Amino acid sequence: MARWALVSGLQGDLALYEAIQRDLRQLGRVDTLFVLGDLIGPDRDANALLDRLQDPRRGELAPQCIYGWWEDQLLAERGYRGERRADPLRQQFGQAAVEALQEAVDPGHLAWLAALQFGFIELDCALLHGSSADVGDWLGPESSPLLLLDRLTRMDVNRLFTARSGEQFCVELAGGGIASTVRDLAGERQLQQVVPQRKVIGIGGGLRYSLYDPGSERIAFRSVGQQPGSRGRGFA
Amino acid sequence: MAHAVISCLHANLAALEAVLSDIDQRGITTITCLGDLVGYGPQPNEVVNLVRERSIPSCQGCWDEDIIEGLNACECSYPSQLAERRGHQAHQWTAEQLSEENKAFLASLPMTLRRDRLLFVHGSPNSQHEYLLPDMDAFAALERVQTADADTLFCGHTHRPYVRELRDGVIRVRVQTPADPQAAAEREMALPVRRIVNAGSVGEPRHGNTHATYVIHDEATGNVEIREVPYDVERTCRAIVEVGLPPVFAWRLRHGFEYAERADDASHVCER
Ligand SMILES: [Zn+2]
Ligand SMILES: [Zn+2]
Repeated sequence: MARWALVSGLQGDLALYEAIQRDLRQLGRVDTLFVLGDLIGPDRDANALLDRLQDPRRGELAPQCIYGWWEDQLLAERGYRGERRADPLRQQFGQAAVEALQEAVDPGHLAWLAALQFGFIELDCALLHGSSADVGDWLGPESSPLLLLDRLTRMDVNRLFTARSGEQFCVELAGGGIASTVRDLAGERQLQQVVPQRKVIGIGGGLRYSLYDPGSERIAFRSVGQQPGSRGRGFA
Repeated sequence: MAHAVISCLHANLAALEAVLSDIDQRGITTITCLGDLVGYGPQPNEVVNLVRERSIPSCQGCWDEDIIEGLNACECSYPSQLAERRGHQAHQWTAEQLSEENKAFLASLPMTLRRDRLLFVHGSPNSQHEYLLPDMDAFAALERVQTADADTLFCGHTHRPYVRELRDGVIRVRVQTPADPQAAAEREMALPVRRIVNAGSVGEPRHGNTHATYVIHDEATGNVEIREVPYDVERTCRAIVEVGLPPVFAWRLRHGFEYAERADDASHVCER
């Protein structure tokens, strides 16, 4: 059965990407590599990494990329998002970060970045950077279960993979329910709903990435630099 | 104190006059409007003028937004291509008719109004275009109210009035992290009781009857009454045909057709 690797937050770091590729080769049995956004960042020149992602070397897993928060900010600032500009970035990190981000990416890469999708739906899994609500949606192990359930419901999937918070976690909805009464001009009716068996999985970011086996649903949280032979801190 | 909530007037003057007089007869002086003052109907200026004269606080509806911003809604706002074409026709006509002053008034309307723990929106707290249907996923419905930090959420946009109380909600989760992958922590969240009140539509009802609808909320008792008000439907239908709007809008008012143009996907949020 296929095994996925889920990576995010490379932020222009080609050496890190190569280390992850080496790690994946040593692990074997991984046949699909998803890069869930934040390919770029303000801290370093991202052009070499962007070249490599578009033109993989022989023997490397070809990455399937979506855009993340940093790409969205760059594309907004460069006029690819209608009237919107990189105001959230400007407010959080200042004008210098907006300029550094623009300098990190050659304009020749913009069309490729602008063509990246918001997310992938594979089997019953949504692979997203933030969530179905927004590319910047920050989901972590402490997020409100109601919010997590809402994000799953919006995509109508059973598994949601998120990267925005950079945290590795798996929150499994394990039970519960809700009652409601609806009254309209035709009368009143009672509705009852149970919490569906669904999961939100944080894949990590940078050095920390995740492996997922959609057949067994086994997740392994990995960190580059971990012993090559070790199986990761997985669980069933 | 009882207050009235009206929505989706849709440039239907006869319906608005009938509803306001019904409210006046009950001695209710606090009225809140959830937007869609214009669109579909033949009297956009008259309806906006009346709302302004009566100083009725109002949120901005999906039509109000589109009239001032230009039609930039994605197709998801319309349940079918035919509906979209008719909608565009009505949009263009309304944009031509509306005075600059009334356009500026619509542009000045807020997305939401709040009174203590009551929140007033057009579609949902997320968007003027999101439909909160009566039987939508209960957790998603509760999330809208909870994220907006309200006890009762008043919305419109679906043109079908309802009151939904969400209660006895519990979600249990198991949380696993790399620090402790085997011993998963269990957590339980008890959900608060919340209400969604849809005010229906004054000027373009789609609940299966031709009567205008609105709601009265008694803050002391918490009671919500869904009101149906008959009005001179033919007066509006004649005006629709006279001004050259698509006759299907008149047909719809005459039939109060329930499923004429219903959006199917309540959870879809336009990403524009
Ligand atoms: Zn409406
Ligand atoms: Zn509307």
